[in-house]
Amino acid sequence: MKYLTQINEQSYEIEIDSTGAVLVNGEARDVDFLNLGGSLFSVITQNKSLEAVIDDEDGGIAVMMGGRLYAVQVLDERATLLLQRRGGKVESTGEIRAPMPGLIVAVSAERGQDITQGTALVILESMKMQNELLAPISGTVSAVHVQAGQAVEKNTLLVELQPPPSD
Amino acid sequence: MRIGSLNKILIANRGEIAVRVIRAARDLGIPTVAVYSDVDRMSLHVRYADEAMHIGGPRPAESYLRMDKLIEVARKTGADAIHPGYGFLAENADFAQQVIDEGLVWIGPSPSAIATMGDKHAARTAVIRNKVPLIPGTPAGLPDDELILAAQGIGYPVLIKAVAGGGGKGMRPVAQEADFAAALATARREAESAFGNGDVFVEKLLQGARHIEFQILADTQGNTIHLGERECSIQRRHQKLVEEAPSVFVDAELRQKMGAMAIAAAQSVDYVNAGTIECMVDRERNFYFLEMNTRLQVEHPVTELVTGVDLAKEQIRIARGRRMGPTQNLMEPKGWAMECRINAEDPYTGFLPSTGQISTMILPSGPGVRVDSGVYSGAEITPYYDSLIAKLITWGETRSEAMLRMRRALSEFRIMGLKHNIPFHINLLNSISFIAGQFDTNFVEQRFNMHTYEQDPSADELETAAIAATLYAHRKRQLASQVVAPAKRDASNWKWMGRYERMHR
Repeated sequence: MKYLTQINEQSYEIEIDSTGAVLVNGEARDVDFLNLGGSLFSVITQNKSLEAVIDDEDGGIAVMMGGRLYAVQVLDERATLLLQRRGGKVESTGEIRAPMPGLIVAVSAERGQDITQGTALVILESMKMQNELLAPISGTVSAVHVQAGQAVEKNTLLVELQPPPSD
Repeated sequence: MRIGSLNKILIANRGEIAVRVIRAARDLGIPTVAVYSDVDRMSLHVRYADEAMHIGGPRPAESYLRMDKLIEVARKTGADAIHPGYGFLAENADFAQQVIDEGLVWIGPSPSAIATMGDKHAARTAVIRNKVPLIPGTPAGLPDDELILAAQGIGYPVLIKAVAGGGGKGMRPVAQEADFAAALATARREAESAFGNGDVFVEKLLQGARHIEFQILADTQGNTIHLGERECSIQRRHQKLVEEAPSVFVDAELRQKMGAMAIAAAQSVDYVNAGTIECMVDRERNFYFLEMNTRLQVEHPVTELVTGVDLAKEQIRIARGRRMGPTQNLMEPKGWAMECRINAEDPYTGFLPSTGQISTMILPSGPGVRVDSGVYSGAEITPYYDSLIAKLITWGETRSEAMLRMRRALSEFRIMGLKHNIPFHINLLNSISFIAGQFDTNFVEQRFNMHTYEQDPSADELETAAIAATLYAHRKRQLASQVVAPAKRDASNWKWMGRYERMHR
């Protein structure tokens, strides 16, 4: 299987053959990859022993290794092809959902408003704390589903953002 | 109460602090009673206590704050003392009084000391009698126009604070006079909605100030001592994240002065049991009394590690009417201790709390490492209580050794199933300012972010992460393709029955 793996704006062509041997950009790599239970993995590569916590996240894969968090996109051949047609951009979702049950304290997003990534959209009170929910992408607020004072369950859709049209 | 007559302790709390108190009681050979809400049946404190009783629903108001139920549990189980831990009812003078009226021992200070120190204005009035320095400020209850005048007199920047406040609510910094009226209105509104009391006061806003607190221990036999300071300046939105003892900022002379002040403050309310005097210390080493916490603190272990005193055990000993173990002020801390609060908060998304089941938790260990926690693999972090997963505490001969051990311990610590702030702590320990001890209470919010001190990963590290993620995706894909849909029964149930019977004849 051939994969295109993207991480920190770098791309790697990684091939894994039927015996499990790994080629990175055509070069062989000696990799021992072992699951230690749950999402914990031990990776030994060129004698370097590392532990990584790996989980699926937001359509990609989150790798926590050596105190660093990496957001990784792993695309198989079909997905790579689709990506090339879209102009190389990986789509990010514009849905803001409640990460936990709680009470909506304030909603600062308004329908039609243009938002830059990282702007606080909703304040959700839970676990004795007021938490700012930030815009994951830049775009236009296409829908606001909640108002201040409302209690919400986990995963309730709160706000939707429409990414700016790509050209 | 007869001295030493303590047969069973009810712990009116949950989580790590309940476990901490159970351990102290066990060490003294005293049986314990735990209480739990609907969602805490699996908690460690329930497993470790000798007896456990269910007290109600998951919301604190339905369980851990129900004074009537707690006292009923004490009656039913024959517990003759109540330890409140921290939070919940720990600083509730009414509850302390009810416990005493019931003929039980309250493991904590007197209700009057709790009431006085719990009211900011009353606390200021009390400690000022013992010449304790206060941050210049106004009394409570002034009308808006007088507050504006007073703010001018104090000099900007100032801080508007709610009389009934806590945790940063109803608190507003004001940089200049033009902003004062608007900030005052907001603070009053916030205080009104959060505490049902819109009363505020104004005080001088200290810049570059550190939050340093002193541990107090006092018994009923006339001994009041301090056990040195804790440095708690690493905080975010007034929630402490890292604490250490001693403080890089405090030398023997300052410790002696501040310690004497802390004892004077405690004595102003005839304080008995363990308590903490919180202070602000400015760049010029001027120190001011902030408030007294009339309970055991979350960060008490750092003091325990540099003094060798078991504070929870001393609390019980003092409540029994005995003379406490240490009776001398601590002037020379033994080595250095540091605590990182491991919270279920994601530092990559603005410290958003995370809930769910802890699928795996692998604790660090080795020389100089202590972990205080109330959860374990398989336990659940619910939205009903605070987000503390564990307190990771390390000790070393020097601050550097304590820090290096903390780094090692953080790198060994594995928590899976939910987001946590271990990456924050790892980054913090890479920060030059933190390592050099140069920080104040605004450090985390104003001068630190998750990437400031992160070095770019090396090419090798990046490639390894890419390979690991790819292998992960590859294996998942293979597993998915191996799952074959179960074959449908192609025959009628009558035929199946016939075949079954033939086989089992």
